[in-house]
Amino acid sequence: MHEYPEGQPVDFAIIGTGAGGGTLACKLAEYGFSVVAFDAGPYWRPLEDFASDEMHQSKLYWTDPRIVDGDNPIQLGANNSGKSVGGSTVHFAMVSLRFRPEWFKSRSQLGYAVDWPLDWREMWNYYTEVEQVLNISGPLRYPWGPKRPRYPYRPHELNAAALVLAEGAEALGIDWTPTPLATLSAPHGLAHPCVYRGMCVIGCSTNAKQSVLLTWLPRALTAGAEIRDLAMVGSIEHDHAGLATGVHYLRDGRWRFQRARNVVVAGYAIETPRLLLNSASAKFPDGLANSSGLVGKNLMVQSNQAVWGVMDREIRSYKGPPSLAITEHWNYTDEGKDFHGGYSYMSQGPLPIVWGTTQASKRGLWGQALLDAMENYNHQVGLKIVGETLPRERNRVTLSDERDQYGLRIPRVTYSFCDNDKRLIAHSLKFMRQALEVVDAHDIWDEDDDTCHLNGTARMGDDPASSVVNADCRCWDIPNLWICDGSVFPTVGGVNPSLTIQAIACRTADRIRAMARRGELPSL
Amino acid sequence: MRRVPAAEARRRALASLQVTARSLNEKYSLNAPARTPDPEWRNAVGRKLNLSSALLSLSVLADSGLEHYRGSFQNRLMYLPLAVSAATVAASLFGIADARAKSHAVRDGLYVLAGLTGATGLGFHGYNVMKRPGGLSWLNLFYAAPVGAPMALLLAGVLGRGAERIRDDEACTILGYPAGKALGLVTSAGLAGTVAEAGLLHFRGAFQNPGMFLPVVVPPAAAGLLTTAQFRPGNIMRRAAKLGLRLTALLGFAGVGFHAYGISRNMGGWRNWSQNILNGPPLPAPPSFTGLALAGLAALSLIERGSHD
Ligand SMILES: Cc1cc2nc3c(=O)[nH]c(=O)nc-3n(C[C@H](O)[C@H](O)[C@H](O)COP(=O)(O)OP(=O)(O)OC[C@H]3O[C@@H](n4cnc5c(N)ncnc54)[C@H](O)[C@@H]3O)c2cc1C
Ligand code: SF4
Repeated sequence: MHEYPEGQPVDFAIIGTGAGGGTLACKLAEYGFSVVAFDAGPYWRPLEDFASDEMHQSKLYWTDPRIVDGDNPIQLGANNSGKSVGGSTVHFAMVSLRFRPEWFKSRSQLGYAVDWPLDWREMWNYYTEVEQVLNISGPLRYPWGPKRPRYPYRPHELNAAALVLAEGAEALGIDWTPTPLATLSAPHGLAHPCVYRGMCVIGCSTNAKQSVLLTWLPRALTAGAEIRDLAMVGSIEHDHAGLATGVHYLRDGRWRFQRARNVVVAGYAIETPRLLLNSASAKFPDGLANSSGLVGKNLMVQSNQAVWGVMDREIRSYKGPPSLAITEHWNYTDEGKDFHGGYSYMSQGPLPIVWGTTQASKRGLWGQALLDAMENYNHQVGLKIVGETLPRERNRVTLSDERDQYGLRIPRVTYSFCDNDKRLIAHSLKFMRQALEVVDAHDIWDEDDDTCHLNGTARMGDDPASSVVNADCRCWDIPNLWICDGSVFPTVGGVNPSLTIQAIACRTADRIRAMARRGELPSL
Repeated sequence: MRRVPAAEARRRALASLQVTARSLNEKYSLNAPARTPDPEWRNAVGRKLNLSSALLSLSVLADSGLEHYRGSFQNRLMYLPLAVSAATVAASLFGIADARAKSHAVRDGLYVLAGLTGATGLGFHGYNVMKRPGGLSWLNLFYAAPVGAPMALLLAGVLGRGAERIRDDEACTILGYPAGKALGLVTSAGLAGTVAEAGLLHFRGAFQNPGMFLPVVVPPAAAGLLTTAQFRPGNIMRRAAKLGLRLTALLGFAGVGFHAYGISRNMGGWRNWSQNILNGPPLPAPPSFTGLALAGLAALSLIERGSHD
């Protein structure tokens, strides 16, 4: 790996190496820029470092202290944030979906929330690029939305849990499909194909999972980027003119400074606003890039409610990737809804500890009742949504006065579902219950308070007054400061976000190259 | 030099052409007068066909053994192809060793059974595809019971029956058709089916290795040449068909090597052989190509002898 001296400014210092930062690091390095990408987490070698053990693998999660409040305080950690080179994609569930085209203009075309400053047709091409790089295994015909090119790899075989979703969907007369997944259904390069052991959300020790760690980052290194792991960035420095000059970071127990001509923040929707707010100075007392006052605001989770039941036949839902089948019916159908937005739902395969915890904490079982329920582990099935929530300024990330192990002020994360979110959830629970009833599941119950994914908090837009960055992920206030991760989403839609984050990163890299060529980036 | 009138020259040229054509026709044409091959020769062709049945049924035995074991023999009928293909292998070996130039009732009966079992298997596998959610979909064709697999047993039966008929029938016919032509057609159809099966599964594997294109290129070419050779008699055509079939036969063996390499690419490679052999790609599948190619070569030699009514 190439190493850059701290005293010499690099073209780009990128904070975070996940879906946004890792992808951008690769593309920019390949375009010939000098890049150092920092990550607070370690650089894992999955084949050697990962165990098939839920407790042990919690080393992948971002579990630093955070304060949560609001009507629906978010449970942070395993299900929404990672601390590893490769970011949350190291333990993500690999579901790789495109936005519904109309969502890029949800205000003008669907009548709610805000429009993106991006055009879906342009995004369609970037989605294709990412799907190729991740060797997505997907169906030959996707039932919803405009035509898309064939996925590079064929779909995976369905497990019994996915077949339950399929049977339910067919009985209710809606479309379903094998889920497009970022895990190999055939060998690729040195990587083995998936072995269907279902450890995906604790990190894949097979290297079948096409995470950022295994796709973009090796390319980034080849192109000369440096990945500096175990390096926690504490603040971004700027000069008198208000231009970013580099980052302060803690590594090996010592605070250091890396000079840079451009800084990219890609720490995901909590750490990104936290870093911007923590970098407040005399010139920018409310934090960097915050003239709109929107940094940290409009945090959006995705609702992640589920309906669970028991089948007479053995299911063993934990075999294989957890979400092998999906329906996006309620993303693409606008009739029959009493809410704005959409949701998809997928089959599930929780690992034992997660399942036990869910039974105890969400269903309230304890003692013999819990033991009895766990006896049914091999027979349980579930359907779970990824649901759209609406952006609200009151849902936000702010700084508390407490400090963490780095001495940095810790984020306070405030979250409440709005009425629309609640109506969407109620609709989904009712529908999924029917989908389990028609396949003769029994002992059906609703898990009604889970969330996943974090987005918003530094939204992109056309207007500096109502957004933090423009369509190119460039801050309105500081022209050599960029934000490139899930934070820039103005809305979230009803699909998992990582494919869109990577597509945006690819676009941002192309835009940076184009602007640099035209001499529009004075710092380069 | 004496000048020959133009009309006379044309007449002579035509006559000499006719002579050549007649001799060519005698040598190669399907309509040539029957030259009954001797029993020894017919027995030799029969043994060739027994060999191809043996290979096909051996491939079925190993393949269905692996796959049905993998499927935990959920349905008791899943034992049937194992028993029948084992018996077919035995019958074929007996045929290969048998120096008598006539058919054998047990062999014949077993081949009928193999054919019937193969046909039933096709039905079962088809049903297995259709009963899943999505019905006749790519997903189910990829992962449900492989529709094409039982066909190998059906072919083993049909070719084996062919071997018996040729031994018995001096005129070398099958169901009234010239044996060479009939077997050629069966082989070409069998190759087409096997190619479709390999193509489907290699497509499922996204043709991730360029070698995966070989079985969808070489055998179809061979099948095409074999079919053409039956209808457009000629030395060159037959030689080309022979070459194509020989390459296909080789490919069947090479395929085992390719698949062994494929197995090594699974997590744990050959060290974890007990799981990875089941995981595939299937080691025993490619030799069906060899079996069919040998049948094709036998058909060609029948055609060559112009042996029919
Ligand atoms: C369990 C789980 C399952 C998921 N499943 C799916 C799925 O199936 N499909 C899908 O599309 N999405 C899924 N996601 C979501 C997806 O992983 C994230 O949306 C995506 O990775 C976010 O990308 P990002 O670049 O914004 O942040 P991340 O990928 O989280 O990367 C941020 C990185 O920045 C680092 N970082 C943050 N702050 C600092 C700092 N100050 N200094 C140094 N480094 C810092 C972090 O260590 C982290 O590695 C899942 C997430 C989880 C947790
Ligand atoms: S099921 Fe596949 S993707 Fe998931 S951990 Fe296992 S090998 Fe990796």
